[in-house]
Amino acid sequence: MAVQESAAQLSMTLKVQEYPTLKVPYETLNKRFRAAQKNIDRETSHVTMVVAELEKTLSSCPAVDSVVSLLDGVVEKLSVLKRKAVESIQAEDESAKLCKRRIEHLKEHSSDQPAAASMWKRKRMDRMMVEHLLRCGYYNTAVKLARQSGIEDLVNIEMFLTAKEVEESLERRETATCLAWCHDNKSRLRKMKDLLDPARWRMLIQQFRYDNYRLHQLGNNSVFTLTLQAGLSAIKTPQCYKEDGSSKSPDCPVCSRSLNKLAQPLPMAHCANSRLVCKISGDVMNENNPPMMLPNGYVYGYNSLLSIRQDDKVVCPRTKEVFHFSQAEKVYIM
Amino acid sequence: MSWSLPVTCTLMETVSTGWAEMLRPGLTVLVRMGRESGETASEAAMEQCASVEREVDKVLQKFLTYGQHCEQSLEELLHHVGQLRAELASAALQGTPLSATLSLVMSQCCRKIKDTVQKLASDHKDIHSSVSRVGKAIDRNFDSEICGVVSDAVWDSREKQQQILQMAIVEHLYQQGMLSVAEELCQESTLNVDLDFKQPFLELNRILEALHEQDLGPALEWAVSHRQRLLELNSSLEFKLHRLHFIRLLAGGPEKQLEALSYARHFQPFARLHQREIQVMMGSLVYLRLGLEKSPYCHLLDNSHWAEICETFTRDACSLLGLSVESPLSVSFASGCVALPVLMNIKAVIEQRQCTGVWSHKDELPIEIELGMKCWYHSVFACPILRQQTSDSNPPIKLICGHVISRDALNKLINGGKLKCPYCPMEQNPADGKRIIF
Repeated sequence: MAVQESAAQLSMTLKVQEYPTLKVPYETLNKRFRAAQKNIDRETSHVTMVVAELEKTLSSCPAVDSVVSLLDGVVEKLSVLKRKAVESIQAEDESAKLCKRRIEHLKEHSSDQPAAASMWKRKRMDRMMVEHLLRCGYYNTAVKLARQSGIEDLVNIEMFLTAKEVEESLERRETATCLAWCHDNKSRLRKMKDLLDPARWRMLIQQFRYDNYRLHQLGNNSVFTLTLQAGLSAIKTPQCYKEDGSSKSPDCPVCSRSLNKLAQPLPMAHCANSRLVCKISGDVMNENNPPMMLPNGYVYGYNSLLSIRQDDKVVCPRTKEVFHFSQAEKVYIM
Repeated sequence: MSWSLPVTCTLMETVSTGWAEMLRPGLTVLVRMGRESGETASEAAMEQCASVEREVDKVLQKFLTYGQHCEQSLEELLHHVGQLRAELASAALQGTPLSATLSLVMSQCCRKIKDTVQKLASDHKDIHSSVSRVGKAIDRNFDSEICGVVSDAVWDSREKQQQILQMAIVEHLYQQGMLSVAEELCQESTLNVDLDFKQPFLELNRILEALHEQDLGPALEWAVSHRQRLLELNSSLEFKLHRLHFIRLLAGGPEKQLEALSYARHFQPFARLHQREIQVMMGSLVYLRLGLEKSPYCHLLDNSHWAEICETFTRDACSLLGLSVESPLSVSFASGCVALPVLMNIKAVIEQRQCTGVWSHKDELPIEIELGMKCWYHSVFACPILRQQTSDSNPPIKLICGHVISRDALNKLINGGKLKCPYCPMEQNPADGKRIIF
């Protein structure tokens, strides 16, 4: 891979990129836990109620038949409690297991095997792209990409799909789904003190999207966009934008067509130390391949000049002037 | 923002000069931490994930235990009540009043039911703290807010930029061979991609799919038609394809012997370059009757050859097309993964020192990002004296002694019409300096 990432660097990046990866399933876990507690509390109180009724009857010398029928009621409520409890626990357990799966995936960033490490990096990019595509509203593409990359478990598709349903219903001027969503998330929305005014549809959709992101603590821009911006800046040099295009490099990502346009408004890389690259070969020019200046002022690597030498002459690739090989002078870069 | 992130030790040298003084105290702290960490950086990182994982494991354990306990207790209760009901429902007791004994038993049962279910409810509530500890561990170990390196709206305000970004993603998907995803994105974003652009990828993909099915035909056809350029690249693709075909014939057993021998004539043009490998293959014919798997040549039947041929083909085809194997978007994204935490770190330092105005220097990043030598695509010359990148308005100048400094530095060094090179004491005429171009 072109970019070197040490284990320490990978971990620093984890810290800034992966919050949504873990927080979103956690919020689901929290939600399901509260729902489970509510279910258990409710069914428990039902059981307690029928038992209290039975106890009351017992104190008044009841006939066996009436006790039997009350017992039936107790059995029924206990069964409902059992069923609901099992279902709720299963649901919470599922979300906890999802959290676990994601954490396990993140741990794999530090794998010793290079193949596993590059697979992890590829999946990382795919994960961020999926989130970005979901934010842009390209749901089908996002789902397809997630499937093809094998990362369906690792991306928050569901959250965005729920959002999509709400948005679409709002576009149809229906508030039901949106209100249901609000109800679902009401305890957290309440903390945000936000109000949705049903009269303003377009704004409503925007507002909903904004609240949804904030609810899940996602900012305005996708992690993918912010990462890409930083990356383009770190590679961008003035040579990528020379007017005559003479200093473009075929390998430089910022020199490539689309990325060149994208990187235009971004800051350039800061380089405190010189590094020289031969225009002919793309190899580094250093003690092993010293930079040589031709009489026209253009500099190339010694090894490259050797390789283009013919009959003791060299032709400057950029100006086409012909010089003697011996006319090349070594330059010293500190 | 945590201060415990390690930063490279060259931090002081890499921050642009104008900022160093302002930021020095804060940076010293970071540099010291950087020096201390190193090894411990990756430990800290593992701890990050491990810490959250620990809490999740505890919750999973609690759910498991609670679930089992809940089911068991309720089963017992139901069983007990069931028994009681059966007893009461027996014909002998029909229509009679409840006996005192049974009444007592019933009361005890009621109490037990109430106690059990109430405990179940409160036991579940107790799990809440473990659940919220997971959230807290996440909050503690991961940053909830990610900020932009440049102003947030730099791509928003230009809708065209968003479209160009989508296009870049489409191009990336084509290059990665994810054709159906690329098509879907084109549809959803209503982008139009030139057929000219798509064509080579469609062809590449067709050939790769055939190779995955172990069909060498399309690949061979392609290799033959691009033979000249592949030779220029020193590619051995064509030979490898023939070799794979030969090996497959061998795997067919003794009946394929004639066919294999006849196919061997394809090796003729490669005799010089691949002599050794051809000898190996010819040698393996001896074991055809015995079965290649049991011979010293069994490694020829390795499945890895097929994976390798796909890689070789992709690499050579990309070279021919003038593409790198890693798409520009991949490289830029990976570069961003390195740059982002460093830049966020420095932004935090700046905000801490309350010199936010300095960040608005939008032309250049405030700090150098080390991506490794493979990412040195362009020459960069930083004047060793003024510590600034040279530009068209301030180009690098070679002095007579061969040392190179920027023109601004040269002008600063002029003393009484003469110039002394700062690296060797050679005195010279400023006019003798020659502008160089990397």
